[in-house]
Amino acid sequence: MITAGCDVGSLTSKAVIMRDNRIVAQEVIRSRTKPAESAVAVMNMALQKAQMTLTDIVFCVGTGYGRDKIPFISEAVSEISCHARGARWLLPTVKTVIDIGGQDCKAMRIDKDGKILKFITNDKCASGTGRFLEVMARIINVSLDDLGGLSARATAPIALANACTVWAQADVIQHLNDGISAEDIGAGINNAMASRMAVLANNIGLERDLCMTGGVAKNAGVVSALEKLLGMSIKRIKKVDPQLVGAVGAALIAGDKVERRTAS
Amino acid sequence: MIDAFHESSTTLFNRHVRNWKTDGGKVVGYTCSYVPDEIFHAASILPYRLRGVGAREMNIADAYFGPFICSLPKCLLQLAGEGKYHFLDGAVVTPGCDSMRRLDDCWRKAGEDRAEALPSFFFHYAVPHKTADYSLKWFIEETRRLQAAVEKHFNVTITDYQLYDSIGIYNEGRLLLSRLDALRCAPDVAISGADALAVVLASTTIPRKSFNSLLMDLIAQIEAGSDRISGRKRLMLVGSANDDVELVRLIEGDEAVVVADNLCFGARFYADLVEQDGDPVAALAKRYLYHNDCPRMFGDYKGRLSILKEKIERAAVDGVILQNIRFCDLHGSENGIFERDLEAAGIPCMRIEREYGPLVETGRIRMRIDAFLERLEK
Repeated sequence: MITAGCDVGSLTSKAVIMRDNRIVAQEVIRSRTKPAESAVAVMNMALQKAQMTLTDIVFCVGTGYGRDKIPFISEAVSEISCHARGARWLLPTVKTVIDIGGQDCKAMRIDKDGKILKFITNDKCASGTGRFLEVMARIINVSLDDLGGLSARATAPIALANACTVWAQADVIQHLNDGISAEDIGAGINNAMASRMAVLANNIGLERDLCMTGGVAKNAGVVSALEKLLGMSIKRIKKVDPQLVGAVGAALIAGDKVERRTAS
Repeated sequence: MIDAFHESSTTLFNRHVRNWKTDGGKVVGYTCSYVPDEIFHAASILPYRLRGVGAREMNIADAYFGPFICSLPKCLLQLAGEGKYHFLDGAVVTPGCDSMRRLDDCWRKAGEDRAEALPSFFFHYAVPHKTADYSLKWFIEETRRLQAAVEKHFNVTITDYQLYDSIGIYNEGRLLLSRLDALRCAPDVAISGADALAVVLASTTIPRKSFNSLLMDLIAQIEAGSDRISGRKRLMLVGSANDDVELVRLIEGDEAVVVADNLCFGARFYADLVEQDGDPVAALAKRYLYHNDCPRMFGDYKGRLSILKEKIERAAVDGVILQNIRFCDLHGSENGIFERDLEAAGIPCMRIEREYGPLVETGRIRMRIDAFLERLEK
């Protein structure tokens, strides 16, 4: 059975195609202005890679902020449920998932089937989201990929007084003007991000094992700072890019839905 | 028929208020469900619950309040400053919360800067935070002070007989709203949460006799009809003041129905009757102080929790949405405790924080609602 998941987020759009619960193709692109365009583009790329057409897919679940605008999906499911399902499938011992996406962050406790027991998301604010890191990386002139590595080389990380992305920019510029190294500023940025996320995660009552999904899970500095703040190790997802977990979960949920329909 | 209620719930100067003014009637706005409508009704004045419907900017409100405060009183001040409450002959502000208390200061100051912003009758109606004998005694005196101020300003006399009459009419409205509530929380839901909210909102602006008559017709129509809502997740809405029908519509979507609430523009507004014997002012003070379960009242958390649990059971609620307006300390903090205690009792809860005013956070709220409904699917 071939199923697919399409996750149209605020920053990136992702597509995963699965055959009998094995990933056969995956793609990530930068989201375009219209969610439908992003979805079609990323899914076409994944289909091309899998050497399939849309008609080969039995069931496709859409997720992410643009989920209701995706033209080819069979059903839309929230990204919270999709990340939970995907994370549990990738790491079967996981009970808590932290997802940091482009414009929000979420923490969720899940059961053995990857279903939500409790979740929390951030408020309407860019701090604690991928957007925060993106803005800060640009200011200190490093790539987003390199930002995470700065923490390991820092000697005296700065402390950001403001959680607000706008005000934190002013703080960072001040530190740059004072001649502080990019490593110390970068580590301070990663710590601030982890600190914001820890407050949110502690709200739902963490249970081991814990993992992180979303693009920020690739930032080693944030992950390591978060482990210290939570007093708990964070399991790394190695089978796929953590950014794809929502789309993987969507494809798995697509399979669940087909099975349920067949059974009934 | 429900359209008539929706029109009154979304338009400040609606048809009923326009007609009232055309006939030479006076209108007094008030900010909080602790203000007894009956005092005004007995004086042949239309009591009108103030709302921030239609506020699109905050330039005036920001000047007096600053940015870090609940957006409900800000919207009220904004509309006052823009002259949107031109039909008011008076306004009553209560210390429902600190933000509303500040509205009194800010509105008075705005009135100095913009003459049209402040109605000629402007009254601060203090409401105690405790339900003790001594606070009731004090609240009775405060209610008499309000009555005297209305009598003096509008050159009217409010007799006990008129108050009894008004209490009877408002009690009839409360009983009708409770009947509608029963239809809403029945196994086969007879009215959506969005429509039920529109009815309650209409009750805050339409002259009560006309409202009672309209509601009686609506209930008869619903009872005679066969349209019922089933197969949806049954939700309860709790928390900060919500007078936005669109928010409830967003929550309900295609998969849920709000079958119960504990909101001050909701069940809290019409729960409990005023006693119809003895001193009418004392009876009003007693009902409004004792029977209005807002977290502004000290030391009654357990009572409020038990009210929620009773409603959850009666309406067979699947999940509770605890919402608060940003910077709403009262509901923001109490929602956290409700969540802890209701979840411990096996009742799924979700908290959301929102702004009062134009609904702009639909994507974020929808995502959370969807996830919550998916959680309830198990």
